[in-house]
Amino acid sequence: MSRKTITIERTFSASIEDVWELWTTVDGIESWWGPEGFQVKVTKLELKPGGALHYDMIATAPEQVAYMQKAGMPLSQPCRAFYTEVAPTRRLAFTCIVDFIPGVDEYESAATVELTARGADTHIVLTLEAMHNEQWTKLMAMGWESELGKLAALLAKVNRK
Amino acid sequence: MQHSAAPRDDVFQSLADPMRRRIVEVLLAGERPVNDIVAELDIHQSGVSRHLRILNDAGFVRVRADGARRLYALRAEPFQELEAWVSRYRRLWEARLDRLAVALERKKAGRAEEHKDKERNR
Repeated sequence: MSRKTITIERTFSASIEDVWELWTTVDGIESWWGPEGFQVKVTKLELKPGGALHYDMIATAPEQVAYMQKAGMPLSQPCRAFYTEVAPTRRLAFTCIVDFIPGVDEYESAATVELTARGADTHIVLTLEAMHNEQWTKLMAMGWESELGKLAALLAKVNRK
Repeated sequence: MQHSAAPRDDVFQSLADPMRRRIVEVLLAGERPVNDIVAELDIHQSGVSRHLRILNDAGFVRVRADGARRLYALRAEPFQELEAWVSRYRRLWEARLDRLAVALERKKAGRAEEHKDKERNR
């Protein structure tokens, strides 16, 4: 069974070179990569297939600091990824090693980003591989991913009555 | 970033069974007595009862007595739990791409500023 994927598409009003730069340079990655309330500090970047991308994810916003402390997670979290494909300004693929969630076994999570110039804009297609979890895969295979959202919304309405 | 724990195994197991998903679909129309569910699904009552017990144990349905009848209805919580978990990954990336758009705007603005400085210094 092929692993199910999630696809997200976006168009940015920026040149393909600028978009590529923000995906593949230390300054670029640090300018947007971290989740809200976190700062990212890149410690290693080898932009080639098999090359490493290492960064520290540092909680900075008070609510994130509080959340991490409550979850028993350190405020600075080293994250590891490696590139699997590097085709400048066109296609970038990498795999993140997720080994920092308490109570969850280490797993790998792959992502591919494809860039296309559209006039002055750049269109990207981001493909995320489903997390390596047997049950998630099962549920996705049943085509229930999109159903769940609808069901949850519908039921919330019914329950409010 | 919310690392909400994955839903319990029985939540997944409950929906992995096609007959139980059909029961869920029947109950989407609202509260139903067991007999109605049996009639809809065309399987033996003991089978339906077993599936309902599993759904009940996992928190998918609630049951109440109405005279001699037992009425089953869906509960939203496990569906919300599953949905939150499944969509967490997508939301994480959606938010990240929002920040990428902002960073690109900043980059453009910075470059325009640089250009102006050069013009000025000419």
